[in-house]
Amino acid sequence: MTLAQIPETALEGPTSLLHTEEMVLNVGPQHPSTHGVLRLVIHMDGEFITKVQNHMGYLHTGFEKTFENRTYQQGVTYAPRTDYLHSFGHELAYVLSVEKLIGAEIPARANLVRVILHELGRIQSHLVMIGTGMLDLGALTLFFYTFREKEALQDIFEDVCGYRMNQGYFRVGGLSQDIPDGWIETVQAFCAKFGSAVDEYQNMFLNNPIFLARTKGVGVITPEQALDWGLTGANLRASGVALDHRKANPYCGFETFDFKIPTATAGDCFERFRMRLEEMRESAKIVSQALERLEPGPVKDPNRKISLPPREELETSMEAVIHHFKLVTEGFHPPVGEVYVPIESARGEVGYYIISDGGSMPYRVKIRAPSFVNLQALEYAGVGGQFADLIAVLASLDPVMGDVDR
Amino acid sequence: MALLDLFSKDVQELENEGILMTSLEKLVAWGRSNSVWPATFGLACCAIEMMSSTDGRNDMARFGSEVFRASPRQADVLIVAGRLSKKMAPVMRRVWEQMPDPKWVISMGACASSGGMFNNYAVVQNVDSVVPVDVFVPGCPPRPEALIFAVMQLQKKIRGEAIDEGLTKLPMVEAWAR
Amino acid sequence: MNNTKTLLRNAGLEWQEGALETTAIVSPAKLKDTAEQLQREEWYLLDIVGVDYLEFTVKQPARFAVIYNLYHLGENARVFLKVFLEDGETLPSLYSVWKAANYLEREVYDLVGVVFDEHPDLRKVLTPEDLEGHPLRKDFPLGESPTLFNDGRFLDPSTFRAGVTGKDRGLSGYKGGERAGTSSAPLPPTLEVFTANVEKVKA
Repeated sequence: MTLAQIPETALEGPTSLLHTEEMVLNVGPQHPSTHGVLRLVIHMDGEFITKVQNHMGYLHTGFEKTFENRTYQQGVTYAPRTDYLHSFGHELAYVLSVEKLIGAEIPARANLVRVILHELGRIQSHLVMIGTGMLDLGALTLFFYTFREKEALQDIFEDVCGYRMNQGYFRVGGLSQDIPDGWIETVQAFCAKFGSAVDEYQNMFLNNPIFLARTKGVGVITPEQALDWGLTGANLRASGVALDHRKANPYCGFETFDFKIPTATAGDCFERFRMRLEEMRESAKIVSQALERLEPGPVKDPNRKISLPPREELETSMEAVIHHFKLVTEGFHPPVGEVYVPIESARGEVGYYIISDGGSMPYRVKIRAPSFVNLQALEYAGVGGQFADLIAVLASLDPVMGDVDR
Repeated sequence: MALLDLFSKDVQELENEGILMTSLEKLVAWGRSNSVWPATFGLACCAIEMMSSTDGRNDMARFGSEVFRASPRQADVLIVAGRLSKKMAPVMRRVWEQMPDPKWVISMGACASSGGMFNNYAVVQNVDSVVPVDVFVPGCPPRPEALIFAVMQLQKKIRGEAIDEGLTKLPMVEAWAR
Repeated sequence: MNNTKTLLRNAGLEWQEGALETTAIVSPAKLKDTAEQLQREEWYLLDIVGVDYLEFTVKQPARFAVIYNLYHLGENARVFLKVFLEDGETLPSLYSVWKAANYLEREVYDLVGVVFDEHPDLRKVLTPEDLEGHPLRKDFPLGESPTLFNDGRFLDPSTFRAGVTGKDRGLSGYKGGERAGTSSAPLPPTLEVFTANVEKVKA
């Protein structure tokens, strides 16, 4: 029963039957759910929420100020740490913006590897979202199943760049190094098994009556509201607006891949969970297609003003040493300009608005953080339901606090 | 076996019969060290690896530390997992103060231990300046194995088997207080 | 791209030529009317960027700029509305036009210090309550603390990095490369210069 189903007379005025004294409830900032350090101040009338206020900033790290004091190439290390669940998304958005600024050319192999990792990262993020989202709703079991696949993915990431999380593998102008031998087979094996794993999750929660009761019709966001509040990503698509930048403004050659954009119309928590599930299948499809197209070749822009020379050349070529010295001590100098490349991360539109003043460090970097904007919806969608529903809405909006607070 | 046997037989004989002798302090410390319950205090990236350390593959439950308590009043160890912003620091201090004695702190990751790569106006440069830390874990983020190793180090410390840099033995935690 | 320009022309906006992104400059007085018109034409607000141009190498009309990132769903068009304003000037809040402006304007207020009139709840959003100043202004220090080593040696991070910024000499005395518009420092050695030097030495 939601607030809307209760007769209005029962709620209005001090003489009504159900009216109780308003209670202000503080939740957090130490973990209201498994979604990071968010503080909620909730006004409640009996069991129903009348007002929600988000208090953010408990993970404010000063990313944007730090970017202004690091060279463009050093910035690649910072970008993944904003959204640590889909770190490749932020990394990609950052390098694409810088590449547009300096006009780098990306080899085909590097582009395909970027697509593969970008999509595997999306799968990883959705796995954590579903696992911890169900944890928030009181179902512990699914967490162990989704984290089984997540560990497999982290092994794949570790193979390619030596790090389980926060990879920092992309470089302005390509990749830091080529993929290792046998990696393609590992990813193929993962993709082959992944479809059945998704079926398993689907059986475990989409048909679960408790899950249905807690999410169907809860936290409904209409398409008009979603657009007005600036929602992007799966949260917007669950409301019926098929905006996906992989299709709308293709980057990295996404227009050449065959995949669907899952959409729903209900716009409730259930559909937002289901969107993630469907997107994982589509991402696995893209990865399989990209793997087939992989051909040997360079993974860096050959322009020595952008990418480092190979290690062997440093011993034979004076020119390589000079380039190496210049790039390491100072970095490259893009022309004066302002640039923004939107990409579709697991949470929505991510873009880095980079302003260059001609120096070797960005003058200003503004991160378009999808979680920050999506979190606004909680103040609207959470109102009217019960307290337990609020946690379901928060879980379904899937904010990452690193992305919110930056 | 009669109670008298405890006094008439020597220790070796008793051990052969399955009776172990220890002091109460050691017994309590042994029990404590095998049920170190962490408080849920995930802050940033490290929190994901902290979650991973309890999953099926890494299974921190083997060391008795899988029960993450949402309430600090039920927790023994505070795992500071991630960068601590200056806005969060007073909150963390309060969470730590709410934990019952004896309590321990693990500083997980480079950001918590030293500010890591974020040397700026927003991040506390050392968790040790807010709460006393028992074990520092390096890494950005540390692998789940590293966190499990830190928990094992903490267990050693609780049992009085740990030594510090100068090879002095660290005292065991007293059975009744800290 | 052409669709974007048609849409903008219909809305009576002029865009900057030669910019990498479609950017239209709007005066603060006209901002609200323009926004309302664009909202009626189904543009949606996705982001607000606040910039402090205090140390920018190219002269800008005013110290601060607020950039509105708008997106048109039907045409996949994107435009950046840029509003310049001086310190102390205020902008009308666009909360009544797009609800998305709520947090975004609070963020710009918090980090850059631009005040939005008629915003329903203009409070700090990210930084702590007791932090004075606005971190993303250029006169706000980065706030680095020096690194202390075991033997009592300090390393000041900004000195360590100084050669890279091109503003001052670092520990090595190397002053970095040219910064567009300000410096007359020699260009970094290119292949032609290098080979020419080699030829000169050989001769």
